[in-house]
Amino acid sequence: MSDPALLLASDLVAILRAEDREVRVLDGVSLALGRGAFADITGPSGSGKTTLLRALARLLPQVTGSLALNSVPAEKIAPSAWRASVALLPQKPAIYAGTVAANLRLPWTLKARHGAHAPADAVLRAALDGVALTDVDLQRDAARLSVGQQARIALLRVLLTGPQVLLLDEPDAALDDASSYAVGVLLREFAQTGGAIARVRHHVSDGLASERYSLCAGALTEVEL
Amino acid sequence: MTDLAGGVIPIGPGQLALATLFVVFVGVLSIRLSLGITKDLAIATVRTYVQLLALGFVLRWVFGIDSPWLVLGLVLLMVLAAARILVKRSPDAPPGIFGSAFVSMALTGFLVTFSVTGVIIQVDPWYLPQYVIPLAGMVIGNSMNGIALALERMFADLDRREDEVLALTALGATPWEAAHPAIKDALRAGLIPTINSMAAAGIVFIPGMMSGQILAGADPVTATGYQIVVMLMVAAATALGSVMALVLTYRRRFSADGVFLEKGFRDDAR
Repeated sequence: MSDPALLLASDLVAILRAEDREVRVLDGVSLALGRGAFADITGPSGSGKTTLLRALARLLPQVTGSLALNSVPAEKIAPSAWRASVALLPQKPAIYAGTVAANLRLPWTLKARHGAHAPADAVLRAALDGVALTDVDLQRDAARLSVGQQARIALLRVLLTGPQVLLLDEPDAALDDASSYAVGVLLREFAQTGGAIARVRHHVSDGLASERYSLCAGALTEVEL
Repeated sequence: MTDLAGGVIPIGPGQLALATLFVVFVGVLSIRLSLGITKDLAIATVRTYVQLLALGFVLRWVFGIDSPWLVLGLVLLMVLAAARILVKRSPDAPPGIFGSAFVSMALTGFLVTFSVTGVIIQVDPWYLPQYVIPLAGMVIGNSMNGIALALERMFADLDRREDEVLALTALGATPWEAAHPAIKDALRAGLIPTINSMAAAGIVFIPGMMSGQILAGADPVTATGYQIVVMLMVAAATALGSVMALVLTYRRRFSADGVFLEKGFRDDAR
């Protein structure tokens, strides 16, 4: 792992309420991701993998512990600025009725990117081609695409905003082997150019990850690749 | 002063009893067909009697006293009652929205009612209870329905779209931006009944106020003017009140960090 850590999380504790019980989903989780890190996080269903990603993106209410980006503590970074740098891609792709192009440019309609220029058509086209969506026109209605196509558009939307850390929640759950491979190549390139990736995964290893962690009973442990 | 009592044929206890017979007939029918509405119907009938008789006597008393404070107090009481009903009718809303509901109802109730009586109809004195109280009742009652629909819709919609809200927040959206689709739909939902009744007025039905004035012997064209004013003011009050209620309350479902509070993260049991 390279130093210093790009994203540093220490002693994260998250207690979630389910009906009347309280569950310590994260029980003192620490994680350091350096530039170029590609970490897979595995664990049984319901072990809190999604919760961990949300905590890292500062999208989890009532979590305690400390987070830092480039050695700057989270308290000194506005939540929206943090989320722009530490970008979470939820498992369910949020695709809106409207063209593919409009969906990809959605982040630039938000106040957080006020004044920034949305990527041009050529950039979007090239991005789509890069994830085996050559047959999807920019003007197509995104709501009518398949789940696998939508998942890739949601991933591209996050990637195009240029985050430093990518938090991916089962990004290839709905993908076939060919598109899964194309996405993998893209992600490896993201990590190699200085980004860091934490990816929640169910499948067997695809050989992309440089580190591997297991989340079980609220504890995160590094496992041999 | 108007000649409201002018051409009306008074209804006495005998006529009331006759009208009640219709309801009794429906009750018997309900028992025979096991429709299960007998009890609700009986309670509703008794409530109608009690509430409207009480209203009649209170209004007669208020009209006789001629005090601006009494009129203002009565409108305030209507606003309070409406705000309470609003909260009750929004089971998906977070607790503690009574204040916001009250502010929305009060501001639109007073603003729209007194704009109409003061600027459009120009009653003299400005608090003339024969005008202010019925108009306030229509504004508050109708906008309450719209606001209740809008509030309930927004909070139910936010829960339904929690994945979408999370994705937007992850992309850097503020709570307002993340909630905006739900707010927009809620506003539309709250306004639809009003817009529908505006579209159907005069074709499908004779609106309530106009019917009343015609029964009281007013010229139908004069009654039309009043009815148009009432419908426009109800639409304005509903839109204004809904926007205000939605804007004042949506943030309660988000944390200080701007994250939507899904069911597991809420302090309340709702």
